[in-house]
Amino acid sequence: MTQPIDTSIYAAVTEAIRSEAKRILSEGQVSAIVGYAVARRKGSAQPIVISDAADVSKLIFTPACVNNLSVYLTKAKKEIPKNGKIGIVVKGCDLKALVGLMGESQLKREDLFLIGVPCAGVLGSVLQPDTELTSDTIASKCRECGERLPQGCDFVPSVTLPATPEQEQIYAAEIARLEALTPAERWAYWKEQFSKCIKCYACRQVCPFCFCEQCLCDRNKPQMVETTPRPAGNFAWHVIRAMHLAGRCAGCAECERVCPMDIPLNLLNRKMAKELKELYDYEAGFEVNDKGPLASYDDKDDQSFIK
Amino acid sequence: MHPEKQKHAFEPKIIAFVCTWCTYAGADLAGTSRMQYPSNVRVLKFPCTGRIDPVFILKAFQQGADGVLVSGCHPGDCHYIAGNFHARRRFAAFRKLLEFVGVDLNRLQFSWVSAAEGGKWVEVVTDLTEKVRAMGLMTEFKELALEEQWSGTIDTPELKEAYDQI
Ligand code: SF4
Ligand code: SF4
Ligand code: FES
Repeated sequence: MTQPIDTSIYAAVTEAIRSEAKRILSEGQVSAIVGYAVARRKGSAQPIVISDAADVSKLIFTPACVNNLSVYLTKAKKEIPKNGKIGIVVKGCDLKALVGLMGESQLKREDLFLIGVPCAGVLGSVLQPDTELTSDTIASKCRECGERLPQGCDFVPSVTLPATPEQEQIYAAEIARLEALTPAERWAYWKEQFSKCIKCYACRQVCPFCFCEQCLCDRNKPQMVETTPRPAGNFAWHVIRAMHLAGRCAGCAECERVCPMDIPLNLLNRKMAKELKELYDYEAGFEVNDKGPLASYDDKDDQSFIK
Repeated sequence: MHPEKQKHAFEPKIIAFVCTWCTYAGADLAGTSRMQYPSNVRVLKFPCTGRIDPVFILKAFQQGADGVLVSGCHPGDCHYIAGNFHARRRFAAFRKLLEFVGVDLNRLQFSWVSAAEGGKWVEVVTDLTEKVRAMGLMTEFKELALEEQWSGTIDTPELKEAYDQI
């Protein structure tokens, strides 16, 4: 049954973001702000970097503000003025990615001014951006989101988050379904999914954690992963991608959103997150950890699988 | 005093990634003590289990391995102090991932074999070889590698017909 989702707070959130942006820009607290602005198509939004207090009216927050902007602070950071702090608009899931990047020494908290967004959810697809947010159109990640209010930000608009209806957990259900299959059936499922991949690397490009200057998958001496979009190389790419993000992925689901071939990429990441939670009681969150679960160890870690 | 070598219909290829300080020395001990173990295992020596990247395991399967063994120093004995502790976590996670994409974990074995445990090396290698022998050829990755250039379903009847007309 389709239930509407109350996004009436977004107007107040937009107002609050604008006035705070105006204050910090004109006071010179930050040199630039990464946020969302209206895009060309009706209802759509796009990332924007503003550095002039006169531009704050461009900033918005709507259900179409799907992007995880933290990616701009790693890969494209060269394009953003380096002098002074940078302000950034973050949803809860985006903030988890930023926190992860701080833990990996990619960013410093003192260089950032965090504008947190109390979030009721965003659209699953922006192919039709001018869509009402309902229990059908909401992103799968938002259905399972437990942190709608970002913690530890410099500024969070004071609005009351409306209660969200109980929703079907698509990722959790799909992971459980796959786990119940036999290995051969799972192999067949993933083979089919991975065969669609065209190796455009959009998933890598959009991921805040894929910040390596040279990806293992691009190296050819020695070549570890075949680079052509053929079945063997695709399989290796996806396994390596999932492995390299294990214990780091913030669950923003950007990889899955940008995949032009609709491969359920985030299932792999979420499965790994689930396993690491069970094994090492680790979860992506709002607190900076210097060492992720695969960058640390305990003498008493489980080794029942080792002879 | 070599025992009669048994003939098998299928000889699996087993790749063993071992650390040089313990398991390699253990395997060496098995050799110098003239212990017999299946010659199916190809040993690759690494400085430490901490240097054994999960991608090596994947590559081994892709290149035709039927089984993979990863072995190093017992916890606490790592020459680099904590390499095997890190490896233990990494492989625990990697196993779960492989399992989730449908790889049968019976083909992948991890072990701690010290420089003094020639006997344990023989046992681990023999067990894995026999287990994999019973399972037969690892076909999944080979099939992937053999599949044609374009992985999408492009061989529609219309295209076939157009191709035949050229
Ligand atoms: S792997 Fe996907 S969900 Fe995880 S942080 Fe990267 S883009 Fe976000
Ligand atoms: S975005 Fe999709 S098609 Fe492109 S490389 Fe990633 S998985 Fe493959
Ligand atoms: S040196 Fe043997 S496991 Fe590290």
